[in-house]
Amino acid sequence: MNIGTRKILDRSFTAVGIGSIIVMAIALMIVVLPIITNGIGAVFFTGTVEHRKMLFSEFKRGDSEGLSSEVASSERYRSKVYDMLTGFETELETMAPEKKVEYKAKYAQVRAALQALLGPLPGDSAPMLTRFKYGQTRWEKSEEKLHDLLYESKWDNSNPDVMSKEYFVSRAIGFQGTSLVKLFPYVKDNLEKMLLPEFTVYWGFITDSSVDSHFFGGIWPEIQGTFFLAVGAMLFAFPLGVVAAVYFTEYARPGFLNSMLRSANSTLAGVPSIVFGMFGLAFFINTLKVSESKSVIAGALTLAIMILPTIIRAAEEAILAVPKTYREASLSLGSTKWNTIATVILPAALPGILTGGVISLGRAAGETAPIIFTAAVSVGSAIGLADVFSSPTPALSWNIYNLASEHEAASQIRHVQYGMVLALVSIVLMLNLSAIVLRARISKKLKG
Amino acid sequence: MKFQSYPVAAYLAGKPTKTRIDIMIKKISLFIVLLALISVAAGAAVNTLVLDGSTTVGPLAKTFAAYFTKKYGVRVTVSESGSGNGAKSLINGSCTIATMSRAMKAAEIAAARQKGVNPVATIVALDGLAMVVHPANPVRSLTKAQISSIYRGAITNWREVGGPNTRIVVIQRESNSGTEESFKELVIGKGVPVTGSAETQSSNGSVKSRVSTTLSAIGFLGHGFVDGSVKVIAVNGVLPTVAAVKSGIYPVSRPLYFYTNGQPSGVVKQFVDLPKSAEGKRMITELGFINR
Repeated sequence: MNIGTRKILDRSFTAVGIGSIIVMAIALMIVVLPIITNGIGAVFFTGTVEHRKMLFSEFKRGDSEGLSSEVASSERYRSKVYDMLTGFETELETMAPEKKVEYKAKYAQVRAALQALLGPLPGDSAPMLTRFKYGQTRWEKSEEKLHDLLYESKWDNSNPDVMSKEYFVSRAIGFQGTSLVKLFPYVKDNLEKMLLPEFTVYWGFITDSSVDSHFFGGIWPEIQGTFFLAVGAMLFAFPLGVVAAVYFTEYARPGFLNSMLRSANSTLAGVPSIVFGMFGLAFFINTLKVSESKSVIAGALTLAIMILPTIIRAAEEAILAVPKTYREASLSLGSTKWNTIATVILPAALPGILTGGVISLGRAAGETAPIIFTAAVSVGSAIGLADVFSSPTPALSWNIYNLASEHEAASQIRHVQYGMVLALVSIVLMLNLSAIVLRARISKKLKG
Repeated sequence: MKFQSYPVAAYLAGKPTKTRIDIMIKKISLFIVLLALISVAAGAAVNTLVLDGSTTVGPLAKTFAAYFTKKYGVRVTVSESGSGNGAKSLINGSCTIATMSRAMKAAEIAAARQKGVNPVATIVALDGLAMVVHPANPVRSLTKAQISSIYRGAITNWREVGGPNTRIVVIQRESNSGTEESFKELVIGKGVPVTGSAETQSSNGSVKSRVSTTLSAIGFLGHGFVDGSVKVIAVNGVLPTVAAVKSGIYPVSRPLYFYTNGQPSGVVKQFVDLPKSAEGKRMITELGFINR
């Protein structure tokens, strides 16, 4: 090969390398940026007076005097809206019957849009569901709701051969000639004074329980559940994994059985997690009956079985990486085999073992499939440690899925879903970071 | 990895190297004890009601659960894994109440009896199965026969039922779903296969999001899941309004059930009877379901 071609090849390889790193970075940005920006929106956002009302009556938080003065000032502007509504209602009674029917349907839509914006209107019976007790708690959402109030979405199906097109009609035009027509510009101009938006930092998103299936409140039960499941899995899997690795590397005689066991272990590491989930349901709950129903313990055991192969492999590698001279030196000094393992080999292999462990911990925290049938529920309160043997728990990974697909109002509470995703990503990231730090510290100590 | 000979050297020097592991163990156990203290403080053990089953009954179950916990201090957990799984859980004794959007099948009841479980049904609410399409779809009404043809694959284009010339994307639920079974029973008949080109979604929510993003899709939802992102079409000219479902004029409606092992008693009875109370009725209405 002449020098010219070699140079070109060399450069093009560099270019491909840099290119792939850039593509990877962009892909990561595309995935991570929306998670971070939207997830942070669950804690930091522009909250309205409705949010502060909700916090005060559901969580007894906030100062009552400040809130009541705020409510009073927002009521000043709201009362005009309410007056307009009652004015129109009396006007409605005087209308000709056919006109009355026509306006009544349109008026019901206006009322519904106003309820979504401001909460229950005078004359409404107090709602049972917390989600209907308050108006919009988030300012960016109330702007969307304002649009719903001002404009009606209609579909143009003049051409029967194609799908209809959406267009918006101002609701004010529909009420031309009635007293209600003034309401629309009034609400538009005074929405800020009625809702009093204010920058809010809601740490309660992390520490509160959810209210009315995640409409309000926070995600503490999910965070705690994730924590219990992951730590529980670790408590079972870590000691077992290390013992198994010691056996494989130190005691097992090389032979057919040993190599079979090892390859079985490697295969187990590649089994899809849903299989472990079904196994957990069939074995731990239906056969062993570790608990009457789904429970944290059943979920933790299932997760433990799932991460066990990874821990064994990591521990094995770490033990094998301990230089042979350590062993020889220790044995030659008259130390027993067990003593050598406990005092020389394991301490030297500890960084590697721990890294494997913590990475598995991160995986256990993030897996959904193994806990669907064994531990996770979509709603439940935070549980105490005494309940892990009998109670199932909500967990971040499962509830993210639940909110994304099954929740009846998924599109209204996207911020909660993003908040959960960010929480889960941060937890896993922190675990992995702590693994790196731990490893570095232990390595440093070992070096003396 | 650059391990220097520290452990061996330390061993030689008579230093207790065990402490490395010991310290780790101490730290970890300290952490666990701390965790235990925090958690025990956080929650005390009370008896628990375990609900499992239908995703359609999910919103009701979750709301009842929150209300019940607040009022009586009894913890209630709710999983939404499908009516079929709810029945299985009840049979295996791993839930207190199975929430189902269809009645238990004879085979399931037989399996339950064999295990000594006696399933008793309580009707919670009525639900009109809403046929939904994308809001852009000009079709406003279909007959039951037309819907049946669409799901059997006999009609594949919206033009055949008065819509634009586009292929119909048929969306059904998974086999575990009570909603799917009710739909089959009420519309296309038991045992008649759904067209092979039908797409399967695993929950009401995902049917809704699929229909709201696909112009030519048709699907069915529990009535409590309907919102502005999809358009409900009339079946045989009737929309699933409260009155139409209650009186039985709407052809695709079904009851929703709570199944218990034996006649409910105590706390379970209190929970199962919630739909009879004034508050329970209000919750049902506000969630978009229909009182019996």
